[in-house]
Amino acid sequence: MTQAGAPLASEPAVELNGVSLRYDTADDILTDIDIRLKPGTFTFLTGPSGAGKSSLLKLLYLAHAPTSGEVRLFGQRTADMSRNQLSALRRRIGVVFQDFRLLDHLTAFENVALPLRVSGEKPEDYRDEVVDLVRWVGLGERMHAFPPALSGGEQQRLAIARALINKPDILIADEPTGNVDPDMARRIFRLFIELNRRLNTTVIIATHDMHIIREFKAPVLKLQDGLLFADSSYEQA
Amino acid sequence: MNIKMTPLLPESDAREAALFFVVAALCFLAVLATLVARGTYTAAEAWTAQVEGEMTVLVSDTDRRGAESAATLIEALPGVERAHVLTDEELDELLSPSFGPGGIPDGIPLPLLIAVDAEGDTTALAAEIDTTLAEAGINGRADTHSAYAAEVRKALGTLRIAAIGTVLLLTMTAISVIAFATHAALLARKDIVDVLHLAGAEDRFIARLFERRFWLLGLKAGAAGSVAALAVTAIIVFSAQSSNAPSELLPKLSLDQWDLMILAVSPIAGALAARIAARVTVGRSLRSSL
Repeated sequence: MTQAGAPLASEPAVELNGVSLRYDTADDILTDIDIRLKPGTFTFLTGPSGAGKSSLLKLLYLAHAPTSGEVRLFGQRTADMSRNQLSALRRRIGVVFQDFRLLDHLTAFENVALPLRVSGEKPEDYRDEVVDLVRWVGLGERMHAFPPALSGGEQQRLAIARALINKPDILIADEPTGNVDPDMARRIFRLFIELNRRLNTTVIIATHDMHIIREFKAPVLKLQDGLLFADSSYEQA
Repeated sequence: MNIKMTPLLPESDAREAALFFVVAALCFLAVLATLVARGTYTAAEAWTAQVEGEMTVLVSDTDRRGAESAATLIEALPGVERAHVLTDEELDELLSPSFGPGGIPDGIPLPLLIAVDAEGDTTALAAEIDTTLAEAGINGRADTHSAYAAEVRKALGTLRIAAIGTVLLLTMTAISVIAFATHAALLARKDIVDVLHLAGAEDRFIARLFERRFWLLGLKAGAAGSVAALAVTAIIVFSAQSSNAPSELLPKLSLDQWDLMILAVSPIAGALAARIAARVTVGRSLRSSL
């Protein structure tokens, strides 16, 4: 028997059918979006500022419901799910927010441990795992520092560690390398690739960084004025 | 190894210190109002019973000896606890509101009055007294103070309603303030709520954080308010006890077991109100998100 909510081999991990999004009475931010991403795919999402990348990601990490159309994750229609089922689904999604969203009163260790803590796991059980990951992102010396004491790049690495700690089935990152140097950016993307290959994690990354897109050669979806296009340079999954 | 983790909600800040003071003050007022209301109610019961259990018999066309005989006859009737002819000094005191502290001027004929302490239905007893005196050839008429007692009952009823209304108003105010403060605290912590929500925390998990915070705040603030109310009540009680002439019209604050129970229950009630308000507010706020 498969884990509850786990995708069957034939089912897409992420599926959007005719999705539109509008805030209040304004015009559509996203219009009639269709996406099918199989489990284990690695996809870049690109487009100019204001094209709707963050809004699309918000639909994927279940921060918003679409105005019309349907969102399916692991084959399940999110509109049919109870609030507790949605919470359980969110625990399978790791998110790196553009603005990091770290909790200032928690230490670096505690911020990374947050997803495990809300899952009800005991600190004794995840301590070593969290310490290893914090060290891996180069913050071993800042384990007990609070976010306001960290630089922008350090905060970004911390946010990435928090998104990865749960070994998520889907990893969504909104401009994850915006505040780090090129070396650290490559390290982070190699980690994303490793997660994608070893754990079959479905990775969706919104980025402007064309060097990274060219270097890692993954399918690219391009948003323009709320409409989605596949970049012809790459094969869409 | 036990690892100590920082609470997910930050330790209390200045807003919560202000809220603590507000809740403590409201709890203090609510407890004090409850004690005063209860004291008023007790005093009103005692006073009404006293007024309703008394009557006055006016005898005429006779001398003091005749009045004494009438009192003896009345005292022998069932339901009468005591009957005595008022002395000149008692009459002086009774009529002093009309004549002032100088007393009744000489030459004014004084009525002969018999004060009767009774139990049970004074209206039936008054009729029986009238009949008994008539049969004995004494000209007398019993007055049950019914009109006066009705006025007293009406005034005390208004007092009780005012006291209960004050308690209810203060309780509702306390609950509203706590609910409002919870909502404000939630808005102030929206960043934390959002992160927890998106990290997969269930609504119940997030609501519990706020419930626990406001339960403890309500309990501590309520206890502080109750202790302050206890101190003030104790001062009033001791002042009244040390005074030689405590007024019958003042609420009877005694600090008996019921009053102590009110003091003990109030912080728990306050904390419970805080907890419920937190649960409802947080639940409503979370349900508005996906």
